[in-house]
Amino acid sequence: MLVIDKYAYSNRIVKWSPKIKGLLWLLGIVLAFQPIILIKIVVLAVVIWHTLYATKMSVRVYLHWLYAVLPFLLLSVIGIVFTMSPKASQIYYPIHLFGSYFGVSKVMLPRGLRLGVQVLTAVVCTYWFALTTPFQQIILMLKAVHMPALMIEETMLMYRFIFIFIEACEQIYRAQKLRLGYRTFRLSIHSAGILVKMLFQQVMTDYQQMVYALDAKLYNGEFKVGEDDE
Amino acid sequence: MIELEHVDFSYEKNHPILKDISAKFGENGSKVVGIIGPNGTGKSTLFLNLVGILKPTSGKILVDNQPINYSKKGLNQLRQKVGIVFQNSDQQIFYSIVKDDVAFALHNLDVPKDEIKQRVNTILRELDISHLKDRPIQYLSGGQKKRVAIAGILVLNSEWLLLDEPTAGLDPDGKRRMVELIKHLIDRGQKVILSSHDIDFMYEVCDYFYILQAGHIVKSGQKETVFDDEKALLKNKLDQPWLVKIHQKLHLPLYANEAELFADKTLQAKLAKLE
Repeated sequence: MLVIDKYAYSNRIVKWSPKIKGLLWLLGIVLAFQPIILIKIVVLAVVIWHTLYATKMSVRVYLHWLYAVLPFLLLSVIGIVFTMSPKASQIYYPIHLFGSYFGVSKVMLPRGLRLGVQVLTAVVCTYWFALTTPFQQIILMLKAVHMPALMIEETMLMYRFIFIFIEACEQIYRAQKLRLGYRTFRLSIHSAGILVKMLFQQVMTDYQQMVYALDAKLYNGEFKVGEDDE
Repeated sequence: MIELEHVDFSYEKNHPILKDISAKFGENGSKVVGIIGPNGTGKSTLFLNLVGILKPTSGKILVDNQPINYSKKGLNQLRQKVGIVFQNSDQQIFYSIVKDDVAFALHNLDVPKDEIKQRVNTILRELDISHLKDRPIQYLSGGQKKRVAIAGILVLNSEWLLLDEPTAGLDPDGKRRMVELIKHLIDRGQKVILSSHDIDFMYEVCDYFYILQAGHIVKSGQKETVFDDEKALLKNKLDQPWLVKIHQKLHLPLYANEAELFADKTLQAKLAKLE
């Protein structure tokens, strides 16, 4: 079960209109990308505080969620700020390497940091939206902004079946682990291969049964979504 | 009435799943038909044939004296007359919110919005799941999901309801509620065909039985007679209902259900004298 989903259904602002939440998210993104760095930092702090307040989540759990994106962010920033240059004066703490200098670029450091804050602010805003908006509201919002019906259908079906898929995956993984399938690296690769194969087979049989069930419910090629907006 | 005339079915040649099945479901006013058989005898395949998803390799199926019309239009009409609920609830619930899923079949029929809303609410109330209306499916228990799956078919108001293994995976409470639900449906005039190997459950709810063994119907009949041969039942990988056992082995009267046994005052009086 995705825990992230639990917060979305039981937070302090679950009753807010999804349109307002969507607009606030958009505002957050705009503020994240405007040029004044101080505003970004203020937005970052306020949004983190409000996420914690609204979801009653502990700081530790929240940081745990952030770990999913932090490595990517750090790697990008590191990639931007470290550089090679022929002149030592362009670089903080230059290291002499193969005839030129390696270190943190004086020009790129502020840019890199600015980008880091920018991205982090945007990510935090998106987390706020994802953690406070139940799926049904997201669908209503997609409808309100006139997304194509096909895309909304797809989103809805994915959300419905991803839980079943994850559960099946977990069950197979657990069964393999219990029989020491992941004891060594070699075994892990082997077991992971079997897991993927089994999931694929399961998907095929489940698909057949799903077709039967769709038939019984007179499916005619269209999933109507969010019909009654209450 | 649903009538099968010498129905054979096989997925591949020389591997018949159903062999020469003839039956009349709903004959003599029976309202709850039970198809009993061990695992892998073709109960589910039989059901898929009844709703036109699979077509008999030979023989025919008549619904209200009309052979099934396998055109798209014909099948559409058939499915409004004969609804089916499969064993695995997760594979027949497509929406993430309960009320959306229950409304699905009605949307497919282009029923007006107001009517959909009203029919969905009525069914949810009837199945005692109104409080789950706005819940996401993945947070429901197995028994609750089963009810949602049944509601999704019941909204069609079909004359017949086919339930494939309705008690599989349910806890005692879920099972008890399933018995109550089926009894309630029968009281309001719903005709039901059940498949299961849960003998005691079937004995409690059904009024006419077919025993299926390796694709054949080996015996059919009413409650009082169909279970009288314990040896034959055991040979068919089944068992005798416990109420029939105590009838045959302890010579108690044959009770139709548990409640009847425990309400028997004369039996209680006799037992009291023993002490």
